[in-house]
Amino acid sequence: MIKNKKADKIISVYWFAILFIVAAAIVYMVISFYGEPYDIREAEAYALTNKVAGCLSEAGYLNETVLSEDFRENFMEKCKLNFEVEDVYGWREWGQYYVEINFYDFSTNQSISSIKKGNEALKIDCDKEGKTFPVCLERSFYTLDKEKNQYQINVLSIVRKTDKNVQ
Amino acid sequence: MRRMINKKGNILTQNIIFIILNLIFLSILVVFLFSKMGSAAVLEEKYAKQIALILDSAEPGMIINLNMEDAIKIANKENRALNNIISIQSNVVKVQLREKGDYSYSFFNDIVIDIDFSIYPDTSSIPVKEYVIFIEGDN
Repeated sequence: MIKNKKADKIISVYWFAILFIVAAAIVYMVISFYGEPYDIREAEAYALTNKVAGCLSEAGYLNETVLSEDFRENFMEKCKLNFEVEDVYGWREWGQYYVEINFYDFSTNQSISSIKKGNEALKIDCDKEGKTFPVCLERSFYTLDKEKNQYQINVLSIVRKTDKNVQ
Repeated sequence: MRRMINKKGNILTQNIIFIILNLIFLSILVVFLFSKMGSAAVLEEKYAKQIALILDSAEPGMIINLNMEDAIKIANKENRALNNIISIQSNVVKVQLREKGDYSYSFFNDIVIDIDFSIYPDTSSIPVKEYVIFIEGDN
């Protein structure tokens, strides 16, 4: 009889121990899930690439001014881009975005022109794998001008913002 | 006979205490889960990033309706004025649902933005759930 009572007590202690272990596991999982920031850098890089592509080419035709010196110099204003960021983690000093556009003659594959804006230093980390490195997205598309000259345009978009997207 | 009745009583009390403790334990766990899921900090981050992404892809002349019912509930609990929940300065979105703390996130699209609670002229009888973001300019 006494043995049974002891056994009951042991079972209830064992039961609570299991409950605590399960609860601790759930709490750990919830904290690690909700404590992790949402990583939207890839979506941002896609949006940036789309924005640039839409600015360079409209309805399949290259915008006439794109290859001019004026467009290259005032690319940010012409394409309505603003790479200013919030003043945290020293972001303002370093710059969190980079865009590089290379224009090629489609038939000869020769480089015609290029536009680079943002923090070029981010490009170094593009070969590296891992969440703590900037997200790099390279896309290319084919387009024509009004004289039916064919062009290939490569757009490289890089978004860093690691501190707010990765823990 | 008397001993048996007492024994049964003990077993019942023990079981009830055991069940109550289990229930308390589980309800604390559930409260913790829900508090984490819908916490102001999590929602601030979620909405700031969501709005930044929407604005990145926005074009001049667009009107964007954003359902923020869960954020508005929290802001009301924290006595925050609804017109101060979202603010956009330069190209940084700031969402603030509580007195202490907020979340900011930048977007790259250089557009002029205006924010309102609702597009409808009279919102006095309708509880506000949506924010309306107007992108100025012609498409």
